[in-house]
Amino acid sequence: MRRERYPLVLMLEPLLRCNLACAGCGKIQYPPHILKHSLTVQQCLDAVEECGAPMVSIPGGEPLLYPHIGELVSEMVKRKKYVYLCTNAILLREKIESDIFTPSKYLTFSVHMDGLREEHDESVCRDGVYDEAVNGIREAVRRGFRVTTNTTLFDTASPLRVREFFDAMMDLNVEGMMISPGYSYDNAPDQEHFLGRDKTTSLFSQVLSGKKRRWKFNQSPLFLQFLMGKRDYECTPWGNPLYNMFGWQRPCYLLQEGYAPTFRELMDDTGWDNYGHASGNPKCQDCMVHSGYEPSAVQETFTSFKGFKDTVVATLTGKL
Amino acid sequence: MTEEKSLEGWAPEVSDELTLEEVIERAFEYRGDVTISRTDGTAIVGFVYNRNRQSAEPYVEMLDASANSHLTMRYADIENVVFTGRDTSAGKSFEAWQRRRESARKARAQRAQSSGG
Repeated sequence: MRRERYPLVLMLEPLLRCNLACAGCGKIQYPPHILKHSLTVQQCLDAVEECGAPMVSIPGGEPLLYPHIGELVSEMVKRKKYVYLCTNAILLREKIESDIFTPSKYLTFSVHMDGLREEHDESVCRDGVYDEAVNGIREAVRRGFRVTTNTTLFDTASPLRVREFFDAMMDLNVEGMMISPGYSYDNAPDQEHFLGRDKTTSLFSQVLSGKKRRWKFNQSPLFLQFLMGKRDYECTPWGNPLYNMFGWQRPCYLLQEGYAPTFRELMDDTGWDNYGHASGNPKCQDCMVHSGYEPSAVQETFTSFKGFKDTVVATLTGKL
Repeated sequence: MTEEKSLEGWAPEVSDELTLEEVIERAFEYRGDVTISRTDGTAIVGFVYNRNRQSAEPYVEMLDASANSHLTMRYADIENVVFTGRDTSAGKSFEAWQRRRESARKARAQRAQSSGG
């Protein structure tokens, strides 16, 4: 039976340039003329309209380097799109102080934080970034902006340190946290180095078991249960489609196998059956990343009574 | 542990053993500029970001390095592709990063052990 396909979150990359050069990040590995190139505001808005997703996540690259970011966000807020501006927060304080953003229920700064100071600075290959990000978060929260964090966990993560990190983020009064397993998207999985499914569920079980009530996650609780190995989902690769200067990326946020010129062609002409865990595609075997699996969890919440009930129970009790 | 090989500087010779389609596929995966020589004798430098082999007339899409404009070229109009630009992904794979993290962690542990007596 063919499932109806619809997008949940548009991943919009107005530029690929970044002010960090984190090793392992494939997003910035392009020639200089590509990194200097960016979409126009109109191209971004056209993509937002074309896709129709209710939420727009702006990763990159570092979106605060985009010269028109204030205008772009303002236009999307006018269109009542829920905007998640994903930033390393190095420029957050400066941009907020220049008044290019206005607090809104539609705008959330999603700050990249990969752990406490030591882990985060190691992850981004530069000392001092954790403190800069904390500084930016404090200022954004103080001014009434919605702020969340997004964290990628690798197999080297210490569950105890991650739990301490959650406490530290909640102490900053962020609205919620987002977590996802690290996954190599350019190469086939290598069990020696990457988070395989068993490693992922083991790590997330240790991190999230006995979850503290004060930890707020800006994520589907069913997705978190999936990461803990308590649920099984199939990938929804079209759930978070990606648009950038090259077009609509096929097939998903992580795999870069080509580009479609229009959103409709992406949806209609991509061989979706070739992707996801069940497909047998080796690139997909160990992936449990939020961009493919959180839409599946959300789908369960809104299409089944059990999914809805489990979501309500997890939300009300705070237990996973 | 395998070392990562870069295609930087590669000037393939298209033949029966190495088809133009295969070379274009490598150019699509390459994270640097390439020089495409065309059957009309001209050449263009840019970044290949897409290709379509299934089309009735297979084509590549690239961003021209000098004008930063999008170009589309049919396979039939391409003679060869040379990997002339710097490989921006060389040594920056996820595996390389994990190895560096592991080395740094071991070095820290050794330092802590030494300083602890």
